[in-house]
Amino acid sequence: MLTDLYTQRALVWAFANRDFATRYRSSVLGWAWSLIQPLATLIVFAAVFSVVFRIKAPPLGNGEGSSYAAFLFTGLVTWNLFSSLLNLSMTQLKSNGELLKKVQFPAWTPILGASIVQLVQVALELVVLILMFLWLRNISWTWILAIPILIGTMLFAQGIGLMLSIINARFGDVMYIVAVVLGALYFLTPILYPISMLEGQNEWLGLIIKLNPMSWYVQSMHDAMYSLVAPNGWVILALLVGGFLTFWLGFTVFVRNSEDIGELL
Amino acid sequence: MSGRETLAVDLQGVGKRFLRHSDRRNSIKERIVRGRSRRPEDFWAVRDVTLQIPKGSVYGLIGHNGSGKSTLLKMIGGIYRPTTGSITTDGRVAALIELGAGFHPDMTGRENIGLNGSILGLPRKEIAAVTDEIIEFSGLGDFIDDPVKHYSSGMYVRLGFSVAVHMKPDVLLVDEVLAVGDEEFQRKCFDHLYQLRRSGRTIIVVSHGLGQLEGLCDEIAWLEHGVVQEHGGAVDTIAAYLRRVNADESARNPMVAAVRGEDDDGMRSGDQTVRVNTAEVVDGSGTPITHAETGATFAVRLGITAPEPALGPNVRIALQHDSGTLVAMISNHRWGVDFGTIEGDHVVTMAIVDNPLLPGRYRVHIDVFDYTGSRLLDSWNDAVEFAVRSPRGEIGQGLVELRPQITFD
Repeated sequence: MLTDLYTQRALVWAFANRDFATRYRSSVLGWAWSLIQPLATLIVFAAVFSVVFRIKAPPLGNGEGSSYAAFLFTGLVTWNLFSSLLNLSMTQLKSNGELLKKVQFPAWTPILGASIVQLVQVALELVVLILMFLWLRNISWTWILAIPILIGTMLFAQGIGLMLSIINARFGDVMYIVAVVLGALYFLTPILYPISMLEGQNEWLGLIIKLNPMSWYVQSMHDAMYSLVAPNGWVILALLVGGFLTFWLGFTVFVRNSEDIGELL
Repeated sequence: MSGRETLAVDLQGVGKRFLRHSDRRNSIKERIVRGRSRRPEDFWAVRDVTLQIPKGSVYGLIGHNGSGKSTLLKMIGGIYRPTTGSITTDGRVAALIELGAGFHPDMTGRENIGLNGSILGLPRKEIAAVTDEIIEFSGLGDFIDDPVKHYSSGMYVRLGFSVAVHMKPDVLLVDEVLAVGDEEFQRKCFDHLYQLRRSGRTIIVVSHGLGQLEGLCDEIAWLEHGVVQEHGGAVDTIAAYLRRVNADESARNPMVAAVRGEDDDGMRSGDQTVRVNTAEVVDGSGTPITHAETGATFAVRLGITAPEPALGPNVRIALQHDSGTLVAMISNHRWGVDFGTIEGDHVVTMAIVDNPLLPGRYRVHIDVFDYTGSRLLDSWNDAVEFAVRSPRGEIGQGLVELRPQITFD
């Protein structure tokens, strides 16, 4: 797998360049859109959930009160990384279909290329998040732990994305199932609410949320960036290794099943 | 048979099976509802193809639509996997299955060169090295920095062709794309293909342009229903293919013959003292045929009748090409043949020895004049129409084949 990734790096990069160059070429505001959209979500959600539903964010790590917006955005950035890689991966085979039918090249290269461009967007969101915490003076060394957590999230998402994309090429309904599942999973991940709110509530719901891997990624981000508590080292290691194994599995499944991709599309 | 190390592509018993489209279970619902009980129908697009394509040769694939040529090409290009057999290719294969397949409409021509080069597997440095050459060859000039969505279709394929042939593939696969651009660009393409061949590259080309292939290819394989019918020298294979096509056409088409209907009587001009009643096209031995062949003798046979004795009539046939061009007029007087006084039914046969007409469709008009040549006795326009086919595929090279005597001093 690693040698494949290395030998095809130029092609992945070429696809990334293509997607980067064309992403917002015909829009006036260009890359600004990549921030406007998540920020709009943030404002609406922050207003609805903190004012209407009166959800209280846990205290900030610096002990100076709490900020629901900052709490929400920490989760949103992590979730967006996951869901955008997943969705993007699933559409890539179709959108590069004409090419895959006519030229032989590894079918995963345009997927990874598109993901790289998506990472630029995630990085922009991350910059906004950091500015937010700087403004709140919620700073600590634990921020560094966000790096392995996000890398784990990225690998985890990409692994699932690769698997789903090849299944979707065979069975067109996978995309719709994924949309439904992602919609549900969003609420079964502690993004809009702190995980502490569930204590003493429905046991089954708590269990489902615990079994959801994304809960662990998001919760660890909350710890490292918002609460400024270092998550357990084993947890971080598990998130990294889990992400890597998922990516490896997804990549292997993809390569094994993509040999006939020219006929499938 | 050539040694293995001199082969660019070695196909051994290659077959490709597709599932019929109606039986592809594309959605999970279909899978569940229909389960695995019904076996999908098989369709073999290519069957047991064994061919050796030597390095540095131009190899053609011919056959009807749906004969499996393109499928075979896609397998050589690695886009399809063969169901049976093996394909060994030596060196990098680039496919011109469709020109500009990887172009992104929003990117400029220059950006697309880089992308397409990467997709075709060329290292970045080499792409940079040939970019100027590609731009020069495509003749796009300043347009190269415009997004390709603003290109005309001609500009698009010109750039696509330029990119593909400059990727220095060891084996170049060309599928029906030789008919791109204007005359000048086409010539440039052919020159470039010849150049590639001279530099030891192998070209495999699928085309219906038999005349084009005859000049370009060293060897040709003819496929029918996925099976190789014949392969070998270009001229021989094309001839064998055309013989089959012509024979099939003969079996399908009626003989070229016409009997003048009674209802046509009112339309007749001339004073009818001699009438033409039937017209047919026959071969050299007098057997009715469905088409004439270039180089072979054929004849136009007319049944005429004279109710009263008529003095030496002049029967004239005119051959008119589909394009409206009058190709030739033939009459017995012109060639000094006098029928004498005729009465009753007679048959006039006008044989065209070693038919010089090239492939096309021809209409026959018949006129009969009296012995002075001034009075019209009968006239039959569009009596019959016949096709000329050639065993060698010279299409669009004029109307007739002239026999020159060529000297060189």
